[in-house]
Amino acid sequence: MDSASIYYLGVTLILFLAFAAIVARTYSKRHRDKGEEPKFRMMDDDKPKKDDHPEN
Amino acid sequence: MNQQEGYADDIVKGFVIWSMVWGLVAVLVGVFISFQIAFPQLNFPPYLTYGRLRPIHTNAGIFGWGIGSFMAFFIYITQRLTRTSLWSPGLAKAQLWLFNVVIALAAVTLAMGMNRSKEYAELEWPVASLVVVLWVIFAVNIVMTIVKRREEQMYISLWYILATLVGVAVLYLVNNASIPVSLTKSYSAYAGANDANVQWWYGHNAVAMVLTTPPLAIFYYFLPKATGVPIYSHRMGVIAFWSLIFMYLWTGAHHLLWAPVPDWVQTLAMAFSVMLIAPSWAAVFNGYFSMNGQWHQMRENYLVKFLIFGITFYGLQTLQGPSQSIRTFSAFIHFTDWVPGHVHMGTLGWVSLVLFAAIYYTIPRLYHTEIYSVGLANVHFWLVLTGQLIFSITMWIAGVQQAAMLNATNPDGSLHYSFIETMVELYPYWHMRALGGVIYLAGLLVFLYNIYQTIAGAKTQAVAQRA
Ligand code: HEM
Repeated sequence: MDSASIYYLGVTLILFLAFAAIVARTYSKRHRDKGEEPKFRMMDDDKPKKDDHPEN
Repeated sequence: MNQQEGYADDIVKGFVIWSMVWGLVAVLVGVFISFQIAFPQLNFPPYLTYGRLRPIHTNAGIFGWGIGSFMAFFIYITQRLTRTSLWSPGLAKAQLWLFNVVIALAAVTLAMGMNRSKEYAELEWPVASLVVVLWVIFAVNIVMTIVKRREEQMYISLWYILATLVGVAVLYLVNNASIPVSLTKSYSAYAGANDANVQWWYGHNAVAMVLTTPPLAIFYYFLPKATGVPIYSHRMGVIAFWSLIFMYLWTGAHHLLWAPVPDWVQTLAMAFSVMLIAPSWAAVFNGYFSMNGQWHQMRENYLVKFLIFGITFYGLQTLQGPSQSIRTFSAFIHFTDWVPGHVHMGTLGWVSLVLFAAIYYTIPRLYHTEIYSVGLANVHFWLVLTGQLIFSITMWIAGVQQAAMLNATNPDGSLHYSFIETMVELYPYWHMRALGGVIYLAGLLVFLYNIYQTIAGAKTQAVAQRA
């Protein structure tokens, strides 16, 4: 294996591990409720939050 | 609730209206070039030839209609999901001007024959440089709005929006690297097979970062808004997002199967293309499962019809695409009319149906009124659906026949048909496609009329209220 192949393989492995970590975190018990929260919160977004000072 | 105080929405109106203008241009030119193929005597050199008009059609469609409305909805959605007004409405106004200047310059320069000869990256370096400025302005405004957000967690659409901003920037810069030899001509910085590889890495990721991630951002936002029910699973959305991003960037070489790029690059592209079915269908299932108990809305709510048919075409597209990425299948359909069938199920079916829904949803809210006519919106739906299906199905049949003829050999191994014989057989299909295009155009005109009346009605109401 030449150095370029080792490099490609390394990058691929790192990306794959990053992906596996994202899956593990997203589906962890601790993160379950938090992970679903945004879908409820987005249903009510008619106005900016109070502490916002719109310039327009 | 119609009042949306505090968000910079005037600029959204501007982008929506201009994207509809460019969308009309794209479809008009598209219908005209479909007639040029069916009736070659309609080519009028030098400006009104198929060769000059085709890139105008694709640029007006993908960049004028597509990117124009993505800009509108990214601004609309980002503000709402962050519960924060736009970082700089002034910058967004400049962006709208520059956007229109760029698209107009693109149309003029392409008509004059200035072309880098790279598909979807045709614009010569002065115009391409303006595109870079435009994108930087846009990205800075959206990213800064997200940075100062007042919602801690980011809804899935925001992830797709960020991916689009980063992805398009990287792809555009790399594939547009060129050496200018004059104000109107440049040559690619890459050569030979490398150039082809970079071009299709860009080309397919234009599909990913322009024709997939933005409509997904819009779909994930507007489906719950239209149905009034949250998306089925946010976490499935997140995983689908990351796996889509992980896989898409490797697939470009499926456009170069059997070409002189390394075999392993082709195999890699093939494998990742097939794997893409999983994240793509995760989005489709997320959409379908969100409809649990809500399927009656397909009858009652015209917005839902557009969105669910849109995601269905996305699902079909992401089954057909991976099939086309397999060497044997590609050998059959590549260089045939099958491919425009695939393209237009994606652009007219998936992308445009979702955009129509988003426009129908937002315009009445932005103008504090109701849609002018739900009946016309339904007529619009059936016309564009019929037009698109006639177009795509005709092209798939044409592609199979064309492929079979191109591959037919005599016992001694020589080709059974000459190229021109295969072309002549395609005329009936080209007539059908032109008909499909006319029906689609009729649908689009109904849509534009409906939106025009909605806005005009709102203005009249506002004047009456003030009087
Ligand atoms: C899993 C997802 C997808 C895969 C693997 C895929 C695969 C492919 C392949 C292999 C081709 C080349 C066909 C050939 O010339 O032989 C192609 C063309 C194309 N696809 Fe897809 N596709 C996918 C989804 C989509 C979507 C969602 C769209 C949205 C509109 C789309 C738009 C296009 C376009 C515009 C082209 C034409 C490129 C050209 O000008 O040659 N595709 N696709």
